[in-house]
Amino acid sequence: MKTAVITGASSGIGLAALVELAQKQYAIVGVGHDANRSEQALKQVLAAVPGAHVRFVNGDLMQQREVTRVAGEIGAILESEYNGKLDALVNNAGCVRSWYTTTEEGYEQQFALNHLAGFLLTYHLLPQLKRAGGRVVFTGSESHKHMRVRWNDVMFFSGYHPLTVYKQSKLCNILFAKGLNDRYLADGVRAYVVDPGLVCTDIGNKNTGSLVNFVWKYRKKHGVSPQVPAKTYGYLVETEPAPEELYYYRCKPNRYSREVTSENAGRLFELSERLCGIQYPASEPGKGGKT
Amino acid sequence: MNVFISGASGGLGRALANECGKRGFNLFLTDINEGGLKSIQRGLERQFGITVTTAACDLTSDESVDALLEKIDGYGIRFDMLLNVAGVDYEGGFLERQRRDIIRIISLNNEATMRVTHAILSRRREGHPFYLLFTSSLASMYPMPLKATYAASKRFLLDMAVALGQELKQSRVRVLALCPGGLVTTKEAMSGIEAQGFWGDATTNPLEKVAARTLHRLQGRGGIYIPGALNRTLTFFGNLLPRRWVAAAIYQRWSKAQQQWNPSKIKTRTPA
Repeated sequence: MKTAVITGASSGIGLAALVELAQKQYAIVGVGHDANRSEQALKQVLAAVPGAHVRFVNGDLMQQREVTRVAGEIGAILESEYNGKLDALVNNAGCVRSWYTTTEEGYEQQFALNHLAGFLLTYHLLPQLKRAGGRVVFTGSESHKHMRVRWNDVMFFSGYHPLTVYKQSKLCNILFAKGLNDRYLADGVRAYVVDPGLVCTDIGNKNTGSLVNFVWKYRKKHGVSPQVPAKTYGYLVETEPAPEELYYYRCKPNRYSREVTSENAGRLFELSERLCGIQYPASEPGKGGKT
Repeated sequence: MNVFISGASGGLGRALANECGKRGFNLFLTDINEGGLKSIQRGLERQFGITVTTAACDLTSDESVDALLEKIDGYGIRFDMLLNVAGVDYEGGFLERQRRDIIRIISLNNEATMRVTHAILSRRREGHPFYLLFTSSLASMYPMPLKATYAASKRFLLDMAVALGQELKQSRVRVLALCPGGLVTTKEAMSGIEAQGFWGDATTNPLEKVAARTLHRLQGRGGIYIPGALNRTLTFFGNLLPRRWVAAAIYQRWSKAQQQWNPSKIKTRTPA
């Protein structure tokens, strides 16, 4: 049985992707923030796909100690039941903040959740991904275009604007995916970014200020159902041979920003390693699963 | 520059610590939350490569503070700046709160702040200017029904700041009272600000700007810093009116906001 881990899986795009992969017979660990919401989500999944192999682990992925704990729990599940193999990791959890707010480490929350959490979780699950020749999929956004990483102030200590910070975090998703491919393609691990388009989810209504809340309440009505982008996740983790491009919209490759270069990807990789206090292992071609 | 920050693992404390980190200052951080302290220490070291020392401490306990001072004296640290951030408030009107909670507001916001201020001022670097911050609040400007104890405790800090500023001028100690309106520091703060609607948003100050300007003002002329032009204007006109009128207006606003935010808390009455 193939395995998948999906973060932000208790609602929105994450939940739809979870249902999509459950239909494809994956054993899935969903990561949610809130135990009650995860329980509701689990009921929904089991109603849609009776007998699905789904369970939830809960944690606040904004906080690094929580990412590490969640990764440990997932690792233990994979080791004991699935030969320590992970076929798909979907780094989907994300947030929008109206104001500059920080995590326990003093990191800006959007940067911490939308980028660093995925960076750290992927690091912890890399051995399992390598064993299965797994794929890593990020939830990106078309909004990453016309944006540069603000290298001298990635946390936006000055000039905080919710959308700009969000856009940078989504650019970071593609840069990290590129960085992963640059390092671990030879190990059989491949990363993609999904552009979900405008989707009707609650991302702009969770712990945001009244303005973002108000705007998103109307904007999301024009969005498609989360089931639409969910197909792309199914496509990217299932298709053989593996799709070659980096950035996909509705199962088709899409153009991405010119800022996405190996140089920028490497720079973000190093910065993120420092901010997480980790060092990704060197590539070991041949030691992984399928290549 | 050696800086002591109390309440360093909370929202404003972290923002000020980040601002100090950006300026390359060395930090001594304390908070009652040990896990939070370790996290912010890691974050600061990774971001700025500065020296950060931490010690968990319950500032309301003399023994706990004595132990903290022993640690400081063990290292022989001398300070150039003290940022008093640690503070607390509980929701609900005077009779709805637990008696101990009300006392705790005074013990932490006032008593503990005096304890730390005296201890760190006595350990300031000789022959150098010293910078002293009291985190007061916009609430210090008026008597505030439903937040009476908190507002009065913050008034205490405001008056302390102004008085000490004069008293210690000759010793080259510069004092600033920071009087912010709403700051988005926690999820509770976020929902509280939302419950106040327009006025909540309008009197809320961006945390990172407040942190940057606070340090700027502290190292500049000191005095009283009220972030936000609207807050300054409201304070100016509020001070022209009889205090009883202002208190009545505030009562109207807060009782409405609190009902919207959490009606159950307004209705329940716990005998103290």
